Amino acid sequence: MQANLKVKRFDPADEGGKTWWQEYKVDVHPDSTVLDSLIQIREQDDGTLALRCACRASICGSCGMKVNGDAKLVCKTRVVDIAPNGEQLVIEPMGNQHVIRDLVVSLDTFFSQIQRVDPFLQPDHVPEQGEYIASNDSMENLLTSMNCIMCGCCVSDCTVLEVDANFIGPAALAKAWRFTEDPRDSKRDERLKVLNDEAGGIWDCTRCLKCVEVCPKGVAPMDRIMELRESAIEAGNTNTPGYHHTESFYNSVKKNGRLDETRLAMDSAGWTNIPRLLDLVPIGIAAMRKGKLPPLIPHKSEDHKKVKDLYDNVEGESS
Amino acid sequence: MYKHDVLIIGGGLAGLRAAVEVTRAGGDVAVISKVHPVRSHSNAAQGGINAPLTDRGDDWEGHAYDTIKGSDFLADQDAVEVMSVEAGDAVLELERMGVIFSRGDDGKLGTRRFGGQKIARTFFVGAITGSAILHVLFEQALKLGLNVYEEWFVTKLIIEDGRCRGVVAIDLKTGEIHTIKAKAVIMAAGGAGRVFEPSTNALICTGDGLALAYQAGAPLMDMEMIQYHPTTLARTGILMSEAARGEGAHLLNADGERFMEKTAPDYMELASRDVVSRAEQTEIDEGRGIDGNVLLDLRHLGRDFIEQRLGYLQEVSVEFLGIDMAEQPVPVQPGMHYIMGGIKTDIDGATNVPGLYAAGECANVSVHGANRLGANSLLDTVVFGRRSAVHAIEYIKSVDDHSASEEELASEQVRLQALLDRPKGERVATLRNDMARGMTRGIGVFRDQSSMEGALENLENVKSRMSGFSIENKGKIFNTDLMFGLELEFMVDCAEAVVAGALTRKESRGAHFRTDITERDDDNWLKHTLVYKDETQEHGTRVETSDVKITQWQPVKRVY
Amino acid sequence: MKYAFYPGCVARGGAPELYDSALAVMDRLDIEHVELTKAACTGAGVLQEKNLKMGDILNVRTFAMAEQMGLPIMVLCSTCQGVMAQANHRVKRDPEYLAEINKHLEDEGLEYKGTTSVKHLLWVLIEDIGLDKLKETFTRELTGMNMAPFYGCYMVRPSDALEFSSNPQRETSLEDLIQSVGGNVTDFAGKTACCGFPILFINQANSMKMVANHTGTAKDLGADAMVTPCPLCHLNLDGYQPKARRQVRGDKADLPVIHVPQLIGLAMGMNEKTLGLKKHIVSTKKIVRMAEALPSKV
Repeated sequence: MQANLKVKRFDPADEGGKTWWQEYKVDVHPDSTVLDSLIQIREQDDGTLALRCACRASICGSCGMKVNGDAKLVCKTRVVDIAPNGEQLVIEPMGNQHVIRDLVVSLDTFFSQIQRVDPFLQPDHVPEQGEYIASNDSMENLLTSMNCIMCGCCVSDCTVLEVDANFIGPAALAKAWRFTEDPRDSKRDERLKVLNDEAGGIWDCTRCLKCVEVCPKGVAPMDRIMELRESAIEAGNTNTPGYHHTESFYNSVKKNGRLDETRLAMDSAGWTNIPRLLDLVPIGIAAMRKGKLPPLIPHKSEDHKKVKDLYDNVEGESS
Repeated sequence: MYKHDVLIIGGGLAGLRAAVEVTRAGGDVAVISKVHPVRSHSNAAQGGINAPLTDRGDDWEGHAYDTIKGSDFLADQDAVEVMSVEAGDAVLELERMGVIFSRGDDGKLGTRRFGGQKIARTFFVGAITGSAILHVLFEQALKLGLNVYEEWFVTKLIIEDGRCRGVVAIDLKTGEIHTIKAKAVIMAAGGAGRVFEPSTNALICTGDGLALAYQAGAPLMDMEMIQYHPTTLARTGILMSEAARGEGAHLLNADGERFMEKTAPDYMELASRDVVSRAEQTEIDEGRGIDGNVLLDLRHLGRDFIEQRLGYLQEVSVEFLGIDMAEQPVPVQPGMHYIMGGIKTDIDGATNVPGLYAAGECANVSVHGANRLGANSLLDTVVFGRRSAVHAIEYIKSVDDHSASEEELASEQVRLQALLDRPKGERVATLRNDMARGMTRGIGVFRDQSSMEGALENLENVKSRMSGFSIENKGKIFNTDLMFGLELEFMVDCAEAVVAGALTRKESRGAHFRTDITERDDDNWLKHTLVYKDETQEHGTRVETSDVKITQWQPVKRVY
Repeated sequence: MKYAFYPGCVARGGAPELYDSALAVMDRLDIEHVELTKAACTGAGVLQEKNLKMGDILNVRTFAMAEQMGLPIMVLCSTCQGVMAQANHRVKRDPEYLAEINKHLEDEGLEYKGTTSVKHLLWVLIEDIGLDKLKETFTRELTGMNMAPFYGCYMVRPSDALEFSSNPQRETSLEDLIQSVGGNVTDFAGKTACCGFPILFINQANSMKMVANHTGTAKDLGADAMVTPCPLCHLNLDGYQPKARRQVRGDKADLPVIHVPQLIGLAMGMNEKTLGLKKHIVSTKKIVRMAEALPSKV
């Protein structure tokens, strides 16, 4: 089988930093992965190609790179699965991180994000004897986060990091989640408050699911961030537009069976936040001019009381 | 002007544990690693970490004896005793740092069974124990603000007046060569799996630590003891943890028989690894294999159990081979996995070179002797990582100053430039493949005089070509091509020691199984082999022997 | 072909032109539909942040209603598609959870058995009707029109809940549609990225950057218009384009953003009033004129 690769090269020492595309064709075993192909190229055709790889078994996290625009661990990406008819594969270094050379990116962005969430256990006591007592379920629950091998794929493809380098990022937030869920950690409320309040924290995720899609280990960082939001709200953090937005949406559907968009916009801005409310005026006027400003008395779904009943039941259940 | 009290080469379990210890004692310490610490091969350890927990009626002597028996009585019993005694605290400490060990119904640490042990005393996190521990140790390193020379490649140890005083290293990101001076150096750079092909080991396991110490005059002990793990995944060579067998998986031949009955009727699939690998190889060689494999059968464990306790194994099986372990058995074969051999140290990690310590897979205390029990490697790393640090902290009190010499730097710069400037010759990969395949052929699960001599001949051939390989990448920034050339040189040193040890030991013991001398010979060979680098000798090596330390347990025939 | 029609909240609210154009197109194609007027909002993933189970209950209720009618669900919104697919995926894999949810639906006499499928109009056109049959209803070819596809996150992720492996055509549905109407695809990297709507009210600066990047890039690459199957994306990419472009790139909002039925409607020869093309914030005049200038098929 022939693997057909178009690799983005970068040499910082060449003319002050030269980027170019290089095409390679290698004959590989039918079961080969993209990594196998790259290693073969490096070993037999082009020793100048720089990339990181180590374990070849999807546990070390070294070999994250973009294949046809999406970040992947190339040691477990089979060529035949993504290029069944010998299609050319476009290989690029991971995104949102500074490129050192060819497919090697700096790990500084990734690890500075991790550092921001105080990524170590903070117990409030040491057991006198033996281990902390904890249920097996509580430990297994943490496996989702512990499975993270810090490969950087989620950070690479995060659409918020593309526009805002201050976002803590999916990997760090998934790690933070682990500590809020670890029964031995004593700082749950403090952690939730910081993640809630901090610029670039849990409310900056745009819920695009990119990290869930690209994570090779099933960590599903966005789902962890959503759980952090739920926990933050439960812990009494109700001071953010994000909270108001969620709350408003939830209540709107409870009341009307449907979303009251005008109300949502205003609730999210915050009724006492005059500047933000005023900010909505231009779009409101524009919509009105086009005859599509959602009515102040919102549309309701037919028989919407049934929806309220459902809400009451569920809320009654959890209280 | 890079200098520290203690410099640790390697950011895996042993290295990080040592670093944490030095930091806690207030010492000025740094870790230097050619990969980011979390990329260290410790993350590939899967099944668990052994410890006798005395509060549960287990006793350290039981673990010590299992270890010594597993080692085919080549382990130094004082070292094993130390490891078994300290094991409980070592594991508890990891838990308290935050490792998410599995639990029993009582909320205390849970266990599984592992090879060579009748009692379940292996503590684990699914099938990712190594990764889970490494990541937590790294968290502790972050908490303590540990200084890491990340992606710096050590090319030479600085030896002055017979003492180890630091290293010369390349900062891969810039290509600049520097010295880092230290009052003590702890070598924790891992194993040498890439000297063989195939191997479960990562591409980075090129025996750098072993070779650096060897070049500095430290002997490499029992290098012929190469562990072939019984269950490496067909075609890919990926490790399939012993935990599968610990949780009840069976090994079957082409006739569907649990063939371990023949050689280990008592321990069956949980006999020591060398015994199991030989049994498998025999089935394969005698025609009862399937395409060069035997089968690992987990179907009877049930899907939920597999996904909870052995999730990573299922992931690998499905992703790499397309096999659902709950529905089908998995083809496996013996694969090179671990090197029991290593830099000789005492029970405090000290080598014969003052100022140079070693811990982890690159070291040989010896606790694993001729065969390592599963889940003892993780234990070895944290126990001796800590002990080396403790001893190093004491040692540096007697060291007044740092080396001021830049001679080594100058000579390394010349050497490396010369390497880069070589005219076009053979590719590094070609030489490495030739060497590694020859090593596996000659020093495999079964070996004999002629196969080992074949390995020697092959290695000599590779050595003769070493001055001719060239580096294609002439640049400075992240020049992995140059690094591979340097790694090749390290691998050849390791291979040389392995072959020397193998040809010296005239018996079969543990993993060193000679089909021409099948019996163990305690009268003559209850000894360690020690290989020293010696260019005055024919093959560059000089081999001595030393006695095995016996405390409580007299060697008996090893039966599983 | 008959469907349980779920227009979603925004098509009936802030993007009424979507509803109108969709009805017109379905009419032309003789797609029978019954509107699920009792169905509640899907929650859009936002409601689920506060209470995941509540969101699942509301969506399973909708599935049960359609199941009772024996009809598959058709939606007009990427977000509805994604959120419903995720809920469906979740409950189908967890019978215990589904049973819990069904308990809540007992009062209304509903019980979801797991057989409802949810398809966006875009997928209905490609998969159920087929592009060839669709093309028969076109009266003009939109030759020379460069269209940039913008999917909307929930239309392409997560790929397992959206059943991409058994429906690989879904990965390129928008491009295929654009080509079927005779247009050129303006490909750009952000076509499957986020429009920024979810953080519009939370971090407006970032939201504006996303809108500016995507519309700006597409325009730079020569697009005449952007097409999106998601009215929430539309609200941001159209409604906030003026502010975003001004703030981030210092230029004007010059890329009209149209809904899928509007694109089809143009190929079918429908006029701008029917298709609600005058209701956009960013003017669609230019592309309407381009389309009208094209010859009708005989």
